Amino acid sequence: MTFQPSKQVYSGKIREVTLGAGSKAVTIGGKTVYSFHSFEGAMPNPPRIAMEVWDKDPSSEWPEAAKAPFSDVLGDPAAWARKCVGEYGAEILVIQTKSADPNGDNRPAGEVADVVKKIVDAVDVPVIVWGVANHDKDVEVMRLVTEKCSGRRIGVSPVEEGDYKQIGAACLGYKQVVFASSPIDVNLAKQLNILLGNLGVSTDDLIIDPTTGGLGYGLEYTHSVMERIEQAALTQEDDKLQQPIIANVANETWKCKEANLSDADAPELGDAAKRAVLMEAITAVDLLVAGADLVVMRHPEAVNLVRSYISKMM
Amino acid sequence: MKLIGENLNIMSKKYGAALKARDAQPLQELALEQAKAGMDWIDLNIGPAGKTGEELMTWLVPKIEEVVDIPLALDTSNVKAIAAGLKACKKNRPLINSIMVRPERMDALLPLAKEHDAEFVGLLWGPEGMPRDENERGALCAELVYRATDEFGISAERIYIDPIQTPVNVQQIQIMSVLEFMKMFADIAPGCRSTIGLSNVSNGPPDHLRPILNQVMVIILKRHGLYSAIVDCYDTRLHAIARGELPQIEALVHKVEDGEQIDMKALSDEERKYVKTAKVILGQTLYSDSWLEV
Repeated sequence: MTFQPSKQVYSGKIREVTLGAGSKAVTIGGKTVYSFHSFEGAMPNPPRIAMEVWDKDPSSEWPEAAKAPFSDVLGDPAAWARKCVGEYGAEILVIQTKSADPNGDNRPAGEVADVVKKIVDAVDVPVIVWGVANHDKDVEVMRLVTEKCSGRRIGVSPVEEGDYKQIGAACLGYKQVVFASSPIDVNLAKQLNILLGNLGVSTDDLIIDPTTGGLGYGLEYTHSVMERIEQAALTQEDDKLQQPIIANVANETWKCKEANLSDADAPELGDAAKRAVLMEAITAVDLLVAGADLVVMRHPEAVNLVRSYISKMM
Repeated sequence: MKLIGENLNIMSKKYGAALKARDAQPLQELALEQAKAGMDWIDLNIGPAGKTGEELMTWLVPKIEEVVDIPLALDTSNVKAIAAGLKACKKNRPLINSIMVRPERMDALLPLAKEHDAEFVGLLWGPEGMPRDENERGALCAELVYRATDEFGISAERIYIDPIQTPVNVQQIQIMSVLEFMKMFADIAPGCRSTIGLSNVSNGPPDHLRPILNQVMVIILKRHGLYSAIVDCYDTRLHAIARGELPQIEALVHKVEDGEQIDMKALSDEERKYVKTAKVILGQTLYSDSWLEV
């Protein structure tokens, strides 16, 4: 008897969502099968990598390995953004509005939005603006950012149950893309999409952020939740979950202890730079396999590893 | 199906205060309402009750027996309070709620069950907490029944196994494991009965939507042979379903369980709600708080 490989039966499709405007706009999603299962059906758009830019100098928070590739631009976010695009080939950028954090610098919303605008104007690739997950501050900042960046079809994240009405409305008003964020819970992810739909946010403008846990810090939970979202979307025809997924890998990987221990701190963990880069790359690959359509990354070497992985898998 | 009324509970604002104040009147009124609703037992949930548990149960049992002639379920983790309740029950055979499958709980409570010829709920909660699947449920059940019957000589009909109801919004997969366990139950524990804390299926979802989740859950469990359930004494529709008075609704839920094609357009609004709810409980649709609207 000949071997019969088991075949997954699919009944749904992930919707396509386009980020950015003009010739550099990027479309993600569109698959009718689990990620990279091109032997079972179509995966028309490859998963993409977005590179991260902070709106403040991160030198005091980042390990040497992360700073080295950007040492000449860490104090100038616009130059940093240009370097990501020009030198490291970034197709999408994520601006982390870290300076807005009320528990940190607490820079006024107007100033934060001005810096965001400068970065967005410095590049022609799509941009996602990432808040600090403080509802009041994010609402203040994103109201200004969505207006100032009108016409660029930026992404706005995180949009959470506690602020979706305000930020969702701002995105609706200025035709920006909503990143619906829920705390590693498939049922809450679905519920937030329903609420955003009731608010009037179109499925053309909606991406799921299921919240990312880095390697060793809850990666497996994120992986399972992403898988469950994909199963519901592709095999149970769950209309509310048929949206592309983003994984905020950079922030989660680089803040963990093992990515920050130097060679002297932890000689038993091997070369510090290589270790952190590999932690970021493996987290990204793991979540791409689970179903992410977009991963946010920091280190150019990790980006290259993942880029090469994607091209081999497509 | 037999019903155990859950409403006399230390967690309730009204009845918790009455228990603390030893104010019998609201508790007796509730007992009368439970009798009127046809409850087969009245659960007396006094919580862990620390040092006062013994005295509280000794006070409470006669107050309830004074107004109704219904068996009582003694619901506390406090061993002394259970012992006091068993002594205080004069009218009917009491039900200990519950005995976990943990050595120290079984050692303390099984002798009491034997001594008073009481019934008891065997909660399938083991030394490592909640069982992860139907096989762990089966193993815990077998261990408990063996110890109760072989070691203590308690007859199987005194044992009510509770396979643990989990909320649909966080642990739907565990509901499927309970259903799988129920398929094996009669073989694992011949002669034993079963029960479950039904309302936990809707613990988390919006309050006004809890009844339909409870009602559909009971339909599914009833089909799997569940003997009794611990329920809200005010949900009269649930009671009607449990007593088999709404066969059309039951048949509709069974169709969902059997994967039959259902023409949603041919159904009434109410019937559609039962179908949608059955689908989320059985994992055919992913739960969200707005499940009835999508």
